[in-house]
Parts: sequence; C-alpha cells; structure tokens
Amino acid sequence: MVDPASSFLGKMLLEEITPVVMVLRTPLVEEACLKNGLTFVQMLQPFCVFNNIDVPVRTVSDQPYRLHKFKLRLFYASDIKQPNVEAAEEHLKEVVTRAAEKDLSDLSSDPPQLDDLLAMNSESLPLWFKIFNKELIRTLSFSEHEAFDHPVACLLVVSSKDELPINKFVDLFNTNQLPSLLNDGVMDPKILKHYLLIHDNQDGSSEKATNVLTEMRSTFGMNDCRLLCINSAKDGSEERIGSLWTPYKTDTSPSQDLGCLLNVNDVSEIKDLMQDLSSKHIIPHMEQKIRVLNQQVSATRKGFRNQIKNLWWRKGKEDTPDAPNGPMYTFSSIESQIRVLGDYAFMLRDYELALSSCRLLSTDYKIDKSWKRYAGVQEMMALTYFMLDQSRKEAENCMENAFSTYLKIGSTGQRNATRCGLWWVEMLKAKEQYKEAAGVYFRISSEEPSLHAAVMLEQASFCYLFSNPPMLRKYGFHLVLAGNRYYMSDQKKHSIRTYRSALSVYKGNSWSFIKDHVHFHVGKWYAFLGIFDVAVKHMLEILACSHQSVMTQELFLKDFLQNVEKMGKTYEVFRLQLPIINMSSLKVVFEDYRTYASTAAANVRESLWQSLEEDMVHSLPMSRSNWLEPEAKSSKKDKDSNVCVVGEAIKMDIEFKNPLQIPISISGVSLICQLFPRSEVAECELTEKDAHAHPYESASGEKNDAEELRKLTSNWELNSGVSSFALSEVVFSMRGGETTVVQLTVTPKVEGVLKIIGVRWKLSDSVVSYYNFDSDHVKKKNIKGRKKSSQSSSKNLKFVVIKSVPKLEGCIRHLPGKIYAGDTRRLVLELKNQSDISVKNMKMKISHPRFVIPGSLEDLNVEFPSCLEKNSNSEHNDVQPSSSKQPKSSLFSFEDAAIQGGTTFFWPLWLRAAVPGRISLYLSLYYEMENLSSEMKYRIFRIHYDLEVLQSLDLSFQISPCPSKLQEFLVRMDVVNRTSSENLQLHQLSSVGHQWEISPLQPNEAICPLQLLKAGQALSCFFKLKNCRKSSMFEGSISFHSLLQGHDVRLGPQGSDKALFDVSGSALADFHHHERLQQGKSIQGQQGTVDFILISQLPKNRADHGLEGQSDLPQLFSHHSCHHSIASTSPVWWLMNGPRTVHHNFTVSFCEIRLGMAIHNSSKEAISIRMSTLDVTSSDGQLSDVAAAAQDPISSENQGGWHNVSLGNDIKVTSDALGTQFGKSSSDVMAPFVWAASSSTRVELEPMSTTEVPLKICVFAPGTYNLSNYTMHWEVKLLGVPLSAGDRTRQLSGRSPGHPYYITVLQSP
Amino acid sequence: MASTACFIIVSRNDNPIYEAEVGSAVKKEEAAHQHQFILHAALDIVQDIAWNTNAMFLKAVDRFNDLVVSVYVTAGHTRFMLLHDSRNDDGIKSFFQEVHELYIKILFNPLYLPGSRIMSSQFDTKVRALARKYL
Repeated sequence: MVDPASSFLGKMLLEEITPVVMVLRTPLVEEACLKNGLTFVQMLQPFCVFNNIDVPVRTVSDQPYRLHKFKLRLFYASDIKQPNVEAAEEHLKEVVTRAAEKDLSDLSSDPPQLDDLLAMNSESLPLWFKIFNKELIRTLSFSEHEAFDHPVACLLVVSSKDELPINKFVDLFNTNQLPSLLNDGVMDPKILKHYLLIHDNQDGSSEKATNVLTEMRSTFGMNDCRLLCINSAKDGSEERIGSLWTPYKTDTSPSQDLGCLLNVNDVSEIKDLMQDLSSKHIIPHMEQKIRVLNQQVSATRKGFRNQIKNLWWRKGKEDTPDAPNGPMYTFSSIESQIRVLGDYAFMLRDYELALSSCRLLSTDYKIDKSWKRYAGVQEMMALTYFMLDQSRKEAENCMENAFSTYLKIGSTGQRNATRCGLWWVEMLKAKEQYKEAAGVYFRISSEEPSLHAAVMLEQASFCYLFSNPPMLRKYGFHLVLAGNRYYMSDQKKHSIRTYRSALSVYKGNSWSFIKDHVHFHVGKWYAFLGIFDVAVKHMLEILACSHQSVMTQELFLKDFLQNVEKMGKTYEVFRLQLPIINMSSLKVVFEDYRTYASTAAANVRESLWQSLEEDMVHSLPMSRSNWLEPEAKSSKKDKDSNVCVVGEAIKMDIEFKNPLQIPISISGVSLICQLFPRSEVAECELTEKDAHAHPYESASGEKNDAEELRKLTSNWELNSGVSSFALSEVVFSMRGGETTVVQLTVTPKVEGVLKIIGVRWKLSDSVVSYYNFDSDHVKKKNIKGRKKSSQSSSKNLKFVVIKSVPKLEGCIRHLPGKIYAGDTRRLVLELKNQSDISVKNMKMKISHPRFVIPGSLEDLNVEFPSCLEKNSNSEHNDVQPSSSKQPKSSLFSFEDAAIQGGTTFFWPLWLRAAVPGRISLYLSLYYEMENLSSEMKYRIFRIHYDLEVLQSLDLSFQISPCPSKLQEFLVRMDVVNRTSSENLQLHQLSSVGHQWEISPLQPNEAICPLQLLKAGQALSCFFKLKNCRKSSMFEGSISFHSLLQGHDVRLGPQGSDKALFDVSGSALADFHHHERLQQGKSIQGQQGTVDFILISQLPKNRADHGLEGQSDLPQLFSHHSCHHSIASTSPVWWLMNGPRTVHHNFTVSFCEIRLGMAIHNSSKEAISIRMSTLDVTSSDGQLSDVAAAAQDPISSENQGGWHNVSLGNDIKVTSDALGTQFGKSSSDVMAPFVWAASSSTRVELEPMSTTEVPLKICVFAPGTYNLSNYTMHWEVKLLGVPLSAGDRTRQLSGRSPGHPYYITVLQSP
Repeated sequence: MASTACFIIVSRNDNPIYEAEVGSAVKKEEAAHQHQFILHAALDIVQDIAWNTNAMFLKAVDRFNDLVVSVYVTAGHTRFMLLHDSRNDDGIKSFFQEVHELYIKILFNPLYLPGSRIMSSQFDTKVRALARKYL
C-alpha cells in the first residue's frame, strides 16, 4: 500500500487544500511587476511552495510535530469568489480543445495497437486529463459551505511610488472590493494581515521606501510589515532566471522575457518574504486559531453534557421548514467554527483533529437537514480517512454518502458531486480498484454536460484498461460512449481519437454491428475534418454489410461514394469486398493442344475427355511418355506452366457476388496480366526465384497488402501501355444479392511467358479495386508451409505463350436440343481452319457411338432420308464403306482429308436418339499440323452437346414357337406411342440377319390397319418368323455383312407404295450394330435370338410444328430391339408329326396311333438325346395343369447344375405364357392314354442333322389328348475337347418337357 | 413480455453465433449496435464472475442505464446473454434452461461445427417462442 500522501490524490490534496492568502494591491504595484511580464501574484507563485521548511507545530493536545512541506495559495481579492459558470465552462472547453489540437498530429497515423495499450500504465495517461480534472474542481472553489478555500491571511501590497502609502494600506482593506465571503459574514472578517511595500529599483534608490517602511512598522506593528525591492537587475547583465516562472504562466508567449528585470537578489528576497510569511505568520496563526476554536468547541459541544444539550436544542429546531440550503450559518455560529477548525487542522495535517471535528459536525448538519453542508463534511471526512489511511471502507462510505447527498439536492449540488466523484475516483485509483473507479466515472458522466461526460467516460475507459485483468471490452465500450459524447459536444477530433482506440479492441471480432458503427463514424468524422483518404479507408471496412438493413446499406454506400468523390481522384483499393469474388469458382479456360468448340465443352471434366481420347493420342509418339522414362527436356519446361498460343484468348470465369441488397454497378472489369517476351523470360524467372526465396517473411499483413496493391497498380499501368496482349473489359450491374459469372479474356500477342496476376474493377465509376489471385496461396504457404499445393496453384496462372498454330473451329450443324427417341437424322460437322497452315491426319472419337456415328463423304450429297431407302441394286450393299471397316472401334479417321488454311470442311454425321433421357455427347477431333516445325505437333478439338431425348415408341416383342411347324415362330409386336402429342406413322418392320425371315401372318393382309399411331395409342401386330438357315452357313465364317441382311415387312396401310428402308444400309446398320452391343452381350454364337428394327415416320403434313420447328426435314424413326430369344436355349428342336384327328371304332378295340417325332440338332456338336415318355398317373397325365407346365422348365434348369439367371428368366416367362395357353385349350381333355413301345428312346444326332423317331400311343376312349407328357434329355458330346471360356456359359445338357400336341380321337360310326 | 430484449449466444471464443431481438418493442435501427456494445462489454464482467460460481445462471451481471444483462454460462463456456429491461429472474432462468436444451440439440447435429454460426431456422423459431413464453 502506498503512502496516501504520495499517491496522486494525496498530492492533489496537499496542493489544493492549503491556506489561501488574499492579496490586495494598488495598481502601481501591478505596474512595477508587469515590467517583468508577470502579475504580482504570478511573481510570487514560484515561491509559495515550500518543500523543506521544517516548521514546528503542536497539536491541540500539545503533541509536537513538524511540517516539512507547505504551500500557500495566493489570490487577488477580486478572484476570491465563486467563478462564473459560463466562463468556467468556456475555460474547460478550451482545455479540451487545446488537447485535441495537440493530438491532431497523429490522427492520420495508424491507430494504437492493443499491445501498446496494454503496456500503458496510469502514468502514461494523457496529461490533460489531470488538468481538466483540476480545472473542473476549481470551478467549485470558494464555496460557502467549505472553509478550506476561505482566506487565512491577507497580504496588502503598496508600491513605494504610491502617494501616502500608509493611507493606501488602510484604504485597500476598507474598500468594497473585498470578496463576498467576507462581506456576507460567512467568514470572519478579522483575518491575519500582512503589509508589504514594493519598491521598484528602477525608480531610484530605496531610501524613500525604507522611510515608508519605518512608518508602516510604527503604524501596523513591527512584524507585519516588509519591504520588497524588485527590478534591481541591470539590462541584460545578469543571468536569466525566467525559467522559474514558465510552469506557472499558462498563456505565455515565447517572445516575452519573463522576470527579465529580476536578479538573484530579488529572487532570494521574494523567497525570504514568502518563507517568513508562511512559517512566522500563517502557520503560527493557524495553530493559534485551532487552539482557540478547539477550546470553544470543547466547551460547547464536547462532553456528554454538551451532547445532550445540543441534541435537545436541535430537536427544538426540527419543525423549521426545510430551506434549500439548510439554515444559514454565520462565521460565529458554532457549526461554522467547527468546520473552520476541521479544515485548518486538515491543512496543518492534524488529521485526527480534522476527523473528529468533521464527525461532530456531520451529525449536526444531518439533523439540521443542511444537506449541502452535510455532504461537504462527509466529503472532508472521506478525505481525512484517506489521508489517515485507516479505514478504507469508511472512506468509501463517506464518499458515497457525500456523492449521493450532493445529487439529492439537485442542480446546485451537481458540480460538487462531480468533484466529490473525482476525489472518490482518485481514492479508488490509489488503492488500485480501477474497476470501481470506472464505475464512479460513469456515474459522474451521467450528471455532467456532454463534454465533461465525455472526458469522464474516457477516463473510465482507461480505468477499465488498467484494471487487473484488463477489461478490454469495457474499455472499448466506454471509449465509444466517450466518443459519442465528444461528438455531441462538437469535439470531432476527440471523437475520432477515442473511436480509433476502440477499434484496436474490436479489430478482428465478429460483432458486426459494433464494427460497422465504429468504422462508419470514424470515417464520417474524418470526412468532416477533410481527411478523406483515411475516411474512405474506414468506410471500406463496412461496405460488405449484408447483415444491415437496406437503408443502412444504402447510407453506407452513399457516404462511401461521396467521400471517394470528394477525394477528387479515383480511389484504388486492394481487395474491395464489394462485390465479393468467389475464389473457389475461379475457372481458367485456355487452349493448348486442347481446343474447345464451346464453353460448355470447356466446362467438361478433363478426365472425361482424357478417357475419351486415350487411344487417339496414343498413336502420337511425342506426347505419350512412360513414367519410367526420363522426361524429354522440352516437355519438362512446359510442364511447370500451361501452354497457350499467340492470338488465342485465355478465358477466365470469375464469379462476383453482391452481398448487399441494393444494386451496384461494376465497370471496367478486366484482368491484370504480365507478359515477358521470350527474350526476358530468363530474367523474369530469376526475379521470381528471388521472390520465392524471401516470401514476405517479416512483413506484417497490412504492409503486405499495400505492397500487393502497389504491385498490381504498377502492373496495370504497364498493361495499358503495352500491346503485347489484349484484354477484354466487362461492364455489368448487379441487383441485390445477385451472383454473376463474368468471363474475362486475355489474348497474348507475343511469345513469352504470360502471368495472370489479378483482376481489376471499378465500383460505381469511382473506386478501383485490385484483386490478386495469388496472395491467398502465398499466405497459405506462410502459414502451413505446404509446398506442393501452393506451387501448383500459383503456377496455374502462368502460361507459356508459343507461336501461333492452326486451330480448328467448328460445330455440328442442325443438332437439335430435344428430339424423340429413335429419331434418326443426318447432321453435318463443320470445321473451319482460320490459319494459313493446313492440318492433316484428322481422327475423331465419339463418346456415344450409339447416338452419333460418322458417315461417309458420299452421304453429304445425297438426299435424306431417301438415301437410306432400299436400292434395287443389291450390289450397293457390298461396297458400304462403313460396313467394310471395323465399326467396333469408335475411333474414326478421316482418311486423307486435310483442311487447308482458310477453308471450311464438312463431314456428315448420323444421329440417332437411342434411348430417352439426357445425353451428353462428346466429340473429340484430333489433328496434326502440316508443318512439323511448330512447337505443337497436334491439337485436339473438343465438341460437347447436351441432348434431351424424349420418349417416343415403346416396343416389345414376344416370340413363341409356332405349334404347327418346325423352325417357325409367331411374333407379337406391341407398340405404344409414348409421345405427348406426336402422331407416328409406322413404316416397316425388319428382322435382321439372313437366317430369319419375317413375314405377315396372312400374306395378303395389311398388318397395321392404322394410318397413324396417335399419341398414347397402343397397337399389337402379329408376324410370322421363319428360320431359313442353311447348314452350309456354318462351314465358313459368317461375314458381318451377311448377318445384317434382313427381311422387311411393310407396315403402312395397304397399297402404300413407299420404298422400304434398307436396314442393312450404312447408317442404320451401324446403329444397329451399336444397339446390339448395348442391348446384348455378344453377337456371336447366338443362333437363338432375333433382332428387329421398326421404322416409323412422322406424317409429312403435320400442321403443328413439333420440336424446334424442324418439321420441314423428313424425319425418320428407327427402333431397334435386339436379342429376342426364340423361347428355348436348347439346341434340340423337335416336332411331333402325326394325325390330328383319328376316327376309330372303340367298340372293337382300343386305338393305336402312330406318330413320328422329328428331332433336329441345331448345334455344332453331336448330341445324344434321350426321350422318355411318362405314363399317365391320375391328373398328371393330362398336363393341363398350368403350374406343372410352368415348374417343369425350372426344374430342368436346376438339373443342369448352373445356369445363367437372365436366360433362365426368359425361359420361365415364355413357358409361362405357353402354359397359359395350354390351360385354356385343354379343358375338354377327358381320358388317359398310354404310350406304347419303350418308355425311353436314345438317339445320337450329328450336328445339323435331323432324325425321325417313331412313337405310338394307345387310346382307350374317344376324346382330345395332349401328348406332352414326355421329356427330352439332351447332352452335348464334347469329344474330349476342353471347354472354352465361351462354352462355359452354355448349357451342355438339359431336359425339356414335351411340347403340347393335341390329338382328337373320335368314335367312328 | 419485455419491451426490449436482445438475446445473443456467444461462443467460447467470444464470437456471437446467434442473435435475436426478442423484445416486443418496435425494433429501432440504432438499437442493434447499442445492444451489441452493451453485451460485448458485459463479457468482461462475465469473465470475472463465471469462474467464481458453480451456477450456470449468473443472474444480472451488468447494467447499462435501465438495461440489464443476464447471463447463463454452459459447461462448454458458451454464454447465453440476454439484454432486457424487465426484472423477471425466474422467467429468464427458465428461458435460459430451455434454450440450453435447444442448444445442446444443435450441438448433437454432426454437421454443426461447434463455434460456428447457428443458422437453423427451427432453432430460431423455437427460441422466439420461448422468449414469448417466459420473458
């Protein structure tokens, strides 16, 4: 605990609560002093403070002690009055304003850092706070209710030049100039007087003065008179002592020479005078007075008797009405005397006495309800407690009491409350209770006018800062409150200062409203002061205020733009937050060897293209390098950065987002680039290395930003100067909350290294923002130190610009966005070569060969769709170019086609929408340059289209074996028109492959009676399918071509003579091939399946134009349905031959019927077949049970061991259908029959051979019988040949139930 | 219901993660930052008090003019702060407790990163309903 006397409050009290000496002087005295530039009081002031006087004093109880330090306060009599309120206010304001002027210098500097603030202690507080506080307290001096400002002594001064000096002395005290305190009777007018004669040595010798002195002595007494000679210095001959006065003279002008006429002798004389005055006159006088008063007080108030008496007496006065200031007390009243006793004791540092008298007094005042005096005494008590360093609690209680009492009495006590509060604060501060002190400051602030409140709040904020632990948030808040008050009282500089300090607290936190408020106001105030650049800087912080209301956003933006305008130049900002750039969406599209037809193509994932182009680029020797092989040198260099070509634009997609709800306009958006021509490349790399070696090591964040901005602006200026590349500029405006993607381009014109550094845009035509793409990564690198990621990202924006090479551009013409499934049409691929150099070796790959296939050059000139129609010339088929090639590989090469420079190239493509849905088509076109000297040997042209395919016809086929003929099948076709509005005309159905022959069920009948298949309509048609395979076909390999030849059935209304389409024609056949690949597993060895192609057309005279108004083109729909199983996988076919109806006379005998079973082996191996007949056992014999028929094939499957599930399912379905048919027809079967002859027959069958097995049944009664109760077991004989992989999926043995065969036996007449 | 009430959730690293003006008074433009200021400053007091007590509900910790700040500190040192002008300790306590439950549910969400802003609109409606019920 510090000694209270050495604390700030202690010092202040020792300074402020000291005896007051009233000075009365004649004008001539003043005149003499003014020669030195000083008033009389000023001249004496430096000598009123005694730090080492050592005066012995005795307390009332005769305890001796010594005073070492002492101070007198000198005032002219005219000044001893309550200061004028307005003047005092003015004065205080001036103090504050002056402080603000002083601070102006660092207003434009950086705001204080938090660490610096924390390092501050109470000593480093700005001095003017103390001055302000002192001045504030001084406004209360010479109050009536306190005695410590009452003059203790009176110094009467007369100049030796005055006429009749003795009379003057008398006059001085008798005039009405005496302060009201004395005149009103608040003070005892009999005060200690001291007479002083001033002699100006410049006016001649002091002889006259000494004469006057002796006269004075005789008149006023020996000890009370003195002579003081001044101005004895000769001009400039002696050393200057003016510095003694400077601290006391506040309004000094430096030119004035203070104390120029005073020499050392004068000074020592003044010193002696003052010392004598205090030690020989004032202190003894006070001591004396204390004694007298104490005796009086003891006599009247102390002791039990007096207390009772006093209480009684006071009680009597109780009914007097409350005067606002309580009763009036004159100097002679005992209360005033006690007060004087207390204050004198305090001034002589006899705190015990002071305390006891104050205590005594406070009860009196309280009873008297003289609240102001009561509060004053309480205040005094608190101070004495403090100086005694006894009870902290008591001191605070007293202060609190005084404070609230002052407040209670209303406006008159307000300022007193403030003073009391300030003392209280100092008291708390001395005990380091800063938090409480801040609370008191806050209480003071609520009572004071805004300017004072502001100062108080600011002091409160510092208290929070100094408290332990520092309460920074409170600090910030109170600073803001203070700033607000400063602003209200028109002290903008102070407001700025406080807000700026508060910023250090709020920096980097996410309390958005706070930040906005502080930044906005600081900015606004700076703008008031005309410091626009700082204002704008602060305004910048709040632009992206999406959380604020629309009105506030508008206000912020408006103010910001206004300020920028006032700055008078375009303002350049680094990374303006309006609009926000979404870095993650940044996309660069550039074309090295990869070129794109459209942006859509460029947006496709690179891996997708790569997988598509895999074997296309494969053929190129240069690009493909094994990872094991050392990389070629040239490619290594290119690998670091991307490659682009002179004259070809690099596009950059940047996503801008407007965070505000108000529209903003953006203009002049363009990239900032740097292009080092080839000759300077090496140099640029060097500098780059340097930059990487020292990646902004010690630079702070802000400096870094400034650095970046400088770099960007300088680059931009360079940009506009040079013509080595061209930049695009974009202007757009954004609505509130909108997100816009902007494409910016840069086109290099010179070879070298191009770096995209950043982007620049203008907001509302006044603010230019620079945004660098790289620094993010640089920062990241500093933090994480991850080398790899940063390197790759920063390199991404660096391009090696190479010499211009040809580039193909083009598109697919007439490609619709929406088409119906099955729609087949011819498209044209158009390629343009703008350059002078021709390209060659073109190859193309298509991602969906099912949808698009390249045609042949002849297709270009023929008419569609007639080119697909069947030609009478059958030979034409054989020379189909696409068929003769291998259509399996999707890589298509344009033979020897080359595109000359400046020409356009066309190539037909066939499009067929295979399945409904959304399809993304990717086409990759590879080409090589004619002149191999260029750095790029080849390029790839990528085309991408999205296609929406709508449902059109749903096609399903059902095939069941014809019951009457071997190798003939019935085909049911179900067609549903699934389109929403289109009517379709069915044109033809073709079966594919030469071994199948499709024909109408009835040769001369129209199959499809309908002209049109309307939307939503369904149709079923029946056909006959015949297997016309010849055994000879197996001898050679089947050529693909012959497989495709098929048979057609015209579906249109009878008599239509339209030409049939050739399904084995080029396009359709190729599509069919891909369709087969898609729908089935393999196309070989599948003898048991059949493919159909249904061709339909849109009616030509459609009134409504369908999709995209392309009805003028004849449209062709082809639907392919492949791999329709012909009911059985078994290689064995058999057919029961025999009579269907037998007439027999059963009265004679039972009936024997001979039947033949024709068995055909359709496989390539020999088969052993066993046929077992089952004799009838009750219901089983009828085989009319649906379930039995359905289950049988399943069990046969299981018997076979393993089987292909999907195939099995097919079988089940078909046999299910068969079973259903039996069920219907076998209702009239009545009686059993018996198989005659052996129950099992075994036959060996050579490949592709047929045999006939005789059978016989015995029937005992007339009726209709189903002869299906036999099973066929078959087994492939492998003859020692091991199973090949393909065979494994095949069944090697099986069991099939018999086919139904109905025979009707009638009783012959 | 209090005429002025501002509820805010402050994460352990002193960032506001949820803010709601739940008073019945018409929302004033300048009130938003004033409330933030008061609540932000009150964090200092909370810091002092929170470690001296076992209770989660710290009652009224700070005041500014006629506005009182009541605080509830969860075990994870997330602070629920309510700025209000009515004195209704019991109601405020129940309000805090129920909001705590809601907050815990938010924390259960595996997609919610503790300390990030609470964007759930359901949370918001529930908190407002609680405010209507208790304050």
